[in-house]
Formats: sequence, structure tokens, C-alpha cells
Amino acid sequence: MVNSNSDAMSIIFPNSYDNQVPELVSERLMASIPFASRYRMIDFLLSSMVNCGIDNIVVIVRKNYRSLMRHLGSGREWDLTRKNGGLNIVPPYAEKTVNVYNGRVEALASILEFIKNQREKYVFISDANIAVNFDFNAMIDAHIQSGADVSIAYKEEEIPYGFMNLQPTTSSDLYYTLSLDNGRVKEIQINPKEQGKQNFSMNIYLIERERLIDLITKAYAKGNVYFERDILAPQLNTLKVYGYKYEGYSARISDIKNYFDENMKLLDDENLDALFHAPIYTKVRDDNPTRYIGNARVKNAMVADGCVIEGEVENCILFRGVKIGKGAKVKNCLLMQDTVVESNADVEYIITDKEVTITEGKELKGSDTFPVFVAPRKTV
Amino acid sequence: MAKEMIAMILAGGQGSRLYALTQKLAKPAVPFGGKYRIIDFPLSNCVNSGIDTVGILTQYQPLVLNEYIGNGQPWDLDRLYGGVHVLPPYQQASGSDWYKGTANAIYQNLSFIDRYDPQYVIILSGDQICKQDYSDFLRFHKEKGAEFSVAVMEVPWEEASRFGLMVTDENDKITEFQEKPKNPKSNLASMGIYIFNTDVLKKYLIEDEADPSSQNDFGNNIIPNLLKDGRDMYAYHFNGYWKDVGTIPSLWEANMEIMDPEHSGIDLFDENWKIYSRNSGMTGHKIGSHAIVENSMITDGCRIEGTVKHSILFAGVQVESGARVEDAVIMGNCIIKTGSVVEHCIVAENAVIGENAVVGAMPTDKNHGVATIGPGVYVGDYAKVGPDAMVNHNIKDGEVQW
Repeated sequence: MVNSNSDAMSIIFPNSYDNQVPELVSERLMASIPFASRYRMIDFLLSSMVNCGIDNIVVIVRKNYRSLMRHLGSGREWDLTRKNGGLNIVPPYAEKTVNVYNGRVEALASILEFIKNQREKYVFISDANIAVNFDFNAMIDAHIQSGADVSIAYKEEEIPYGFMNLQPTTSSDLYYTLSLDNGRVKEIQINPKEQGKQNFSMNIYLIERERLIDLITKAYAKGNVYFERDILAPQLNTLKVYGYKYEGYSARISDIKNYFDENMKLLDDENLDALFHAPIYTKVRDDNPTRYIGNARVKNAMVADGCVIEGEVENCILFRGVKIGKGAKVKNCLLMQDTVVESNADVEYIITDKEVTITEGKELKGSDTFPVFVAPRKTV
Repeated sequence: MAKEMIAMILAGGQGSRLYALTQKLAKPAVPFGGKYRIIDFPLSNCVNSGIDTVGILTQYQPLVLNEYIGNGQPWDLDRLYGGVHVLPPYQQASGSDWYKGTANAIYQNLSFIDRYDPQYVIILSGDQICKQDYSDFLRFHKEKGAEFSVAVMEVPWEEASRFGLMVTDENDKITEFQEKPKNPKSNLASMGIYIFNTDVLKKYLIEDEADPSSQNDFGNNIIPNLLKDGRDMYAYHFNGYWKDVGTIPSLWEANMEIMDPEHSGIDLFDENWKIYSRNSGMTGHKIGSHAIVENSMITDGCRIEGTVKHSILFAGVQVESGARVEDAVIMGNCIIKTGSVVEHCIVAENAVIGENAVVGAMPTDKNHGVATIGPGVYVGDYAKVGPDAMVNHNIKDGEVQW
């Protein structure tokens, strides 16, 4: 066969870290959180995979996945409507008495037969809480060169506040840092609290498919739950686990404040270009171009199509179909799709979810450290 | 299953009066309105009217159009049975022929029509800006019991002699057809949009083909022949926005009208009648900290640091700081460099306007020309392009082109 495609399939967990942003996932999951004016979080990894020739992608959903299914559809926008492979969305099995899966092991065990029937040599496993334009082929090359059994992508960065404050009792999501010796992982720290830069796992794993099947089969029989905690961490002596250092741009969502900040960082062209160096695909909405009317005054903003702007906008991210009325002042805000700010309203440091209306003359202000969040379809 | 009505879009037009814009593409493929091409309008009208089978007849420079249409997915016209098909002239056992005229283009594709066995065929022009519900036109055609209907627009009497005119009785029945007459008897101009009963269309196309003296044109031959035979012909009144963007000034004007839907009557913001197009896939556009943007339409991928007033910017246009763009149509991926002034003009795709260059001029009493810069043209630093210029080659630094 002509080798135009990557010899890897991938499995995405779109619900991971849902609990970090309860506000944003009331009607959706992590992967379908809107990001960067016209995208959803999953668009970044999905597009990166497609750009790298990966065209067999499984999305294992857990809950609140309706918005994601609507977004992904048949996968056509990502060129994933394929006869072989393509996009597969796997909802939890509602058969027998199986509950919704806990942890990756159960989830992977539930699709083990499917994984066995695939042809690719490698499997990527990832979450969807990172917006990144990732080169998966470079990771495969590094994986082969190091002779690793498992490679874990990591980034040298500080553990964000949202993770440090993780309450283990209310959250089932764990995060990991790696202790490395010449690239090989010597230890995996679970929910560490260290300050300063760490080898912070991006939870992008690369493993041979046959090896994955073997590991999952054994772990599932033992009743293990977590791939990292229960499979990788205890076997670091026997399994060759290598770190793959990612040095490009990435935006990891850890709480609502950091969600706001990561969006705002894209107002800097350098960051925007770094994140979009290869195309990122998303669902098309067929909006008309954005219209600036009369005395609209816009400074330092990223604006998607379909907006109508008649007021003042400064330091903002506007998603598709946002309307800003005459005399309205909008400063340091992130307004999701179809938000309406009526005339003479005055808002600052707010995040509106989709279809929010800020009525005429209303004043609503959050602060730099605490942006106010308005839930979907609410009228203020 | 037979289709009730299929559409045939005549898209072979060279658009010779748009010269600089149509060197490498047919007129229906000319970019329009920030993120569209002209053909998006008839195609979206078809889909919004419920027509799911469309033939596009191409001849002149079809490459861009072919690639743009692709499998028709952006218009929801990728169908198992029907959908959109590009129909260029082709070789047949009896020989090969270019399309000799509008009627001949349809004649050569009668087998395409036969495949879907439609009761009606609507013939559309691929180079008009118009939002029209063809299902309402078909309702009219059926109510009148017509064999042929033509969509007409009322035009001012003093301009009537520039058009093909339909003279009708009080029942909208066509009694006479005048092609660009000196003394118009009607001000109902044909829009070049026809509905035929398929059997009538076939009969007249076959007869027309057999006539060696015919120009094989709907306006000049088919319609007069129908009239001569006393066929049931009706004129359907359309009073929405309609523009044949055949010239640079009219193309510029139509773009400007998009920005003023309250007065012009062409509203692209209509949720119930979306115009679909192939997506650029770029990020949201960026307005910089010192930019000034007024009364303009801007789409994905643009980066604005300078001043943009009353202009339409297509995907991926960069306006550097200190540059000024006013009353302009700037097509995809152009770069307007710092210090340049770009006014009252059309700049085609991928052009670069150098630093401190001047393109076009705001209209005066004496001159209201719309300067045109062709695709991929490089206008050098400090170069000057006058308001009547149509530029299709690079201009060196400091050079002046009138």
C-alpha cells in the first residue's frame, strides 16, 4: 500500500478534566468547549492528527456528549468520513449492568475487540483539554529512536493553579509529572504540588497496538482503573517508558480563569501564529462576514464571522454571531457564539456562554482575577 | 424517481469587461462579498428553493470553478442521486464542439437532463447577484399553466432599451419580445432566468440545432420561436435585489451594497436564506490595538493594524499599520503594506500593495473610476496607480500607472 498515511490510530478521551471547569461543561464536555473565537477544544488535536495522516480516530465519550456529537457529525470537516477508519464515536455501552466507565482501563477494555481488529501498528491516546498543533509523526520518530514501549508527551511548565487546587475527593481526574533519566521515565508523580517548572505530562501516549491490548487485558482482569497510576507507574522498571518533550505552543484548560487567559493570550499574533502554524478545522456555520457599523470602535480583538458590531470593543475574543449594540462598551471580555450585548450596556471582564443577552444599559463587571461567568441562554 | 425540476446554470461567461479579474477564471468564479464567489448565489438559491440537481455549464477557464465546486458539499449538493455536476463541452462520436451559444450548451447536455426525467427545467445565469426563491417562480409557472416562463424586473423606462424586454397582457402572458429596442413598449427586462416544461425545451432545442442560421441563443432564437408558435409564455415579476455584475464599476457597487443591507435590499444576514460558500478555514480576524475600522465587512484570517473604512476585506487580508483602505474591495490574502493608501478600487486575490504606494483615488466631479489590481500583482513601494487603471502586471517601485 502507498504509505501516505500514518501507521497510527488514535483514541481520544473527551471527558477528561471536565471537573476543572464545571461552569463550561454544564451542557457539554471538555472537548466541545469553545475556544479561540471559532473552534472547539477537540478541533486542535483532531486536526493535528489529520494533518499528520492519522485517519482512524476513536472518541470514547462518557457523559454530556450530545454537543460533541453535533459538532463532529460524520467527521467530514476533518476529512474523517472514511470507508476504512475515519471517525468513530463510542458511547458507553448500555448493555448488561455495566455502568459508565471509570478511568481509561475500563474504557479501553470496552473497545478491546475493536482495537484488535485495526491494522495500524501504533496507537495514540490523548485527552482533549489541550489546544495544541501537535506533530504526531515527530513523536513516532522519537519513539522508534528511543526504543520505547510507551512514550509520554510532556511540557516543561508550572502546574497551573486549577490543578494545584484539585480536590481529590470530588474529582476523579488525576494529573501527572515525570521524573526523567536521560529521557526514560523513572517515576510518575500523581497530583504533585511542587512549585516551579515540572515535566508536566500532556497525557498524550504512544504505544504499539499489540502491547496496548496486552496491557489492558491484564490490567482489566486485575480490576485496575487508571492507565497511568495502575499500569505505567508500577511497571517503570520493566516497561520502557520514555518522555517526549514538546516545546511548541499549547494552551491547557485547568480552570475558568485560565480558560479566559489562554483565550486572551491569542490576541498576541506571535501566540496565534504559533498555535495555527498548520490548519485547524472546525464545523462550518456559513455565517456572513462580520459587519462593523457606524461608530464601531474596535481595538485589539479577535472576531469570528457573523458578528455585527456597532459599539466599542477592546481586548476581546468574540465568537461567531455576536452582536454589540450602539453605545455598548465591551472590554476584556470573552463572548461565546450568538451573545447579544444590547445598546449602552457596559461590560468588563465577563465570560458569556452561548446565546447570552446583556440587556440595554446594563452594567456588569468582573475583575482581572475573577471574570464573571454568565451561563448559556441567560438574560442579564 | 423523476425530479420535479432541475437547474442548469450557464457559467461559461468570460466576463471580458472584468478583464483584469477574469484572466484565469470564469466570471461566475469571481470572488464577491467578502467570502463568496458569484456562483454561490444561484447555487444557494437552488438549495434553499429545494432544487437538489444542478448542472453547471462551463467553457471559459473552468479550472478555478471546477475546483471550487468540487463535490458540491458546501452547498449540500453532494447527493447520491442528483447533486451538482460540472458540465464542460465534450467529445461525441459525431465530433466535438464548443458551446456555440446558450441554447447549444443546454442542447449538448440533453442527455444529462434526460437522466433525471424532470417535469421542469430552470435555466439560470451563473453571473448574477440575486437572492431568489425559485420555488415561488415554479408555483407561478404551474398556476399559469405555462410552457415557458421568464423572470422579469421592472427597469426605469429610460434604461429599458438596454435590455431584452417582455411585452405582456394584463394576465402576465407574453405577447411580444423586444431585444434591446430603440422604442421600448415595455419596461419588463428579462433576467435571463427561464422555466421550461421539459418536453417544450427539448423540442425547441432540437429544432434550433437543426437550423444552420441560428445563433443558438435563448434570447435571439428560442424565445422568438416560442412566440411565433403561440406557446403559453408568461412573465414572472421579481422585485428583489438583482445585479448583473458585468463591469468593474457594477461589481464594486454591488460589493458596497452588501455593506448596506438596510438600503440596498441585499441582506446576507438572513438566517432563512443563507448564502453558502467554500470555507477558508482560517481563524477569526484580528483588529490590532491601533487599528481603526469603520463601516466595513471583515472575515476570517484578516489582520488589521491600519485604517479600514467602508470596505470589504476577504479572507486573510493584512492591512499593516499606517496603511489606509477606503471604499475598497480587497480580495483574499492581499497584503496592504504600511503607509500605502488604497481607495475606491478593487484589488484581486494575492496582490501586494507596497509601502507608501497609492492605488485609486476617491471620486471627484471629473473622475469616479474604480482602479483595478489583478490577482497576484505586486505594486511596488511608492508606486502610484490612477483611478482608471486596470493593472495586470507588476508595477516597479516608484512607477506611475494611469
